[in-house]
Amino acid sequence: MKAAIKFCLKYAVFLGVGLASAGLIAGLVSGNWDIVATGLIIAGIVLMGVWLLFIGRLGAPNQPNFWQRRSTQVGTNALVSTLSVLAILGLINFVAVRNVYRADITETQQFSLAPETKQVLKGLKSPVKMYLFTRDADPNDRILLDRLTGQTKQFSFEYVDPQTNPTLAQRFKLKNDLVNKDVFLERFSHFENRPITQLVQSINPEVRLSESKIVNSLIRVTSDRRPKIYFLQGHGEKSLKPGKQSISAAVKGLTDRNFQVEPLSLAQTGEVPTDAAVIVVAGPQQPLFEPEIKLLTEYQRQGGNLLVLLDPRTETGIDPLLKQWGIVLDNRLAIDASGIGKQLNLGPAAPIVQTYSDHPITRSFSNSISFYPYARPLEILEVPNVRPNPIVITNDKSWADADPDAKPVRFGEGDRMGPLPIGVALSRVVLPTATPSPTTANAQPSPSPSPSPSPTPVSPSQEARMVVFGNTGFAMDGYFNQAINGDVLLNSISWLSQDDAQPLSVRPRSVKNRRIIPSQELVLGLFISAVIMVPLLGLITAIGLWWRRR
Amino acid sequence: MLVNLLAIYKRELRNYFVLPWAYVIAAVFWFINGFLFFSIVFGDDGVIRNAQFNDLQASSGIVAGQYDAAYQVVTVFLATVGSLALFILPILSMGLYSEERKRGTLELLATSPITNWVVAVGKLLAVVTFFIGLTLPLMVYIVVALSAATPPVSTQLIFVGYGALILMAASVLSLGMFISSLTDSTIVAAIATFGLVLLLSLIDLIAKSPTMIGQAINQIALIKQYQEMIQGQVTSSGLVMFASYIVLGVFLTAQSIEAFRFQRS
Repeated sequence: MKAAIKFCLKYAVFLGVGLASAGLIAGLVSGNWDIVATGLIIAGIVLMGVWLLFIGRLGAPNQPNFWQRRSTQVGTNALVSTLSVLAILGLINFVAVRNVYRADITETQQFSLAPETKQVLKGLKSPVKMYLFTRDADPNDRILLDRLTGQTKQFSFEYVDPQTNPTLAQRFKLKNDLVNKDVFLERFSHFENRPITQLVQSINPEVRLSESKIVNSLIRVTSDRRPKIYFLQGHGEKSLKPGKQSISAAVKGLTDRNFQVEPLSLAQTGEVPTDAAVIVVAGPQQPLFEPEIKLLTEYQRQGGNLLVLLDPRTETGIDPLLKQWGIVLDNRLAIDASGIGKQLNLGPAAPIVQTYSDHPITRSFSNSISFYPYARPLEILEVPNVRPNPIVITNDKSWADADPDAKPVRFGEGDRMGPLPIGVALSRVVLPTATPSPTTANAQPSPSPSPSPSPTPVSPSQEARMVVFGNTGFAMDGYFNQAINGDVLLNSISWLSQDDAQPLSVRPRSVKNRRIIPSQELVLGLFISAVIMVPLLGLITAIGLWWRRR
Repeated sequence: MLVNLLAIYKRELRNYFVLPWAYVIAAVFWFINGFLFFSIVFGDDGVIRNAQFNDLQASSGIVAGQYDAAYQVVTVFLATVGSLALFILPILSMGLYSEERKRGTLELLATSPITNWVVAVGKLLAVVTFFIGLTLPLMVYIVVALSAATPPVSTQLIFVGYGALILMAASVLSLGMFISSLTDSTIVAAIATFGLVLLLSLIDLIAKSPTMIGQAINQIALIKQYQEMIQGQVTSSGLVMFASYIVLGVFLTAQSIEAFRFQRS
């Protein structure tokens, strides 16, 4: 009987270690330390403790007691110092994980936040919290979230298990399924006195958190109003619905950026809506009516913002309005002979633009490519009070061709040498008085302003803005999402809307374009040295050494 | 102390250069890596082919067409070298102490006036030096291949990636050295070290839970930290982790030799 108890005690330690490890693993794998996991660990520790207490009585009777042996003392010392070193290392690592400094040594800063993202985060004025309704924290998501929280104290995040927190899940109207898990942003709006929630995206093992989606949602959740963009209709303008000659991709881009897009038929309404942030004239094919031009002129005189996209060789009747701003349309076609377009499968009639002037619209573009299929150049004249800025300029090897149908296309008589401005951003200071003063009347071709009820802009802005492009192609479906064409349009509208809280371009980080073009000699040389010579050298040395040892 | 360290370092390093098996390992390692390097860069599914395929797709507008061939070469090849090194490293560390145990020279070393941790550091430095010698030709291949890159590439990523490789190797070798000090069979030491490496490389699979435990496991996932670093993300916590592994290995080795001395006395 006594022998049996002794036997049990002697081997209790193995059972103890086993139970404790089982508990640890159960806790680690399941991620929650419930009664089973903690119970197993405690049982294991108790068993090991019992074994330690009784170990002294189990030794052979003629040897000194286990606890009095010298080796035990040394062993205990070693154990204590080992445990303390482990504890110190663990502590250092714990501190290191909590305060991570990251260096991103990739050329295009692939692993850093975009400057626009930082700008948005730094601009947060009230706390915004992100709820991720999933139990699975992807390490890459964690890295992104850590980077976001590192920028500002206003942004925080929390992983929520919808099963254990059903009330929260209900508040957000979750649409989680087996794979897709929703991510939300929430901010308490003092203006509306209620929390504003915004769906960021649904994540699943393939689609992880996206920086651009987070930023766009941040903008939406923090701004209390959505500026309205009106697209003029009724003269063969590009359609807002998907289909032929459509700019639906641009419309989607605008909605994603927290704009409201509405069609506008000036001929029917007879007035400019008071809530118009920007009016867009997108490639009319027939001339606008005289009263419409007058309405737009009056709208601009009150500080309205206008985006004009015009096709070459079409009569639009908008010329007098443009002339007030010092913009004259060139009837020739812009030709690009640099040949850069060939890489993108574009002909010479689609000028490639890589140089932009310093302007809020183009500031973040550096040397990115945008292109403008069938563009008409613009001429800029000096007009008092108007500040023009040619934001999009063709390259040196371009010209305006008067007779593009002639083959081959080459610079000839009647052509205008490039670089040519294709897009111009203009701003004009609005005079505080609503009635036209004599100085402004000078600049206006129509001496009697229309007596229609003058529209009052939503916010009395200090300046009127206009952006003119001698091109509609870049904004149309099919081209909009290529290169940075979309950014050119979206940034233009952002600037025009005079909502300076609107961020400019946020694009996923891309790598630098680089190729390896080795010569034949290099390939051969590398093959001979890497695959044959170097291994052979090692082998010969080995054989030589072995031979000498014999 | 420094003199002792240098003496141990020299003695250990000399061992490697007179042993034929070290050169055999080097030859095999060089051949496999040279072959893999060649196929990664110039092979049918290699980086240059991928770049051409990418251009082809870009011309038809399927993808954006941005492709950094040099970056691909560095990251893919270093990841390959890293995983191959995991097989080589246990072989390099297996004999560090078990060989001495078997030959009976460990008593001399343990009872000598040189402290245990100086011996351990000296041995570790020697074996890391040998590993640097083993991998240096591979870095030369990368530099030569990248000399044909247009536009030219900065060597920063290569240096950081190579640094990561050395740090990871030093961590594994340090732990391997400890295991080698526990047994007098080199084979057992090699297998046990390999098992440990396997455990460390698989550990990030269970680091999914967002709890603090998950975060802790994430921090000790050796291979994951290495992969992040060769891609160009250097984190302070990653460097701390590598340093912790190295310090832990050296400390445990010194402790183990201390215990060995008392067992004998």
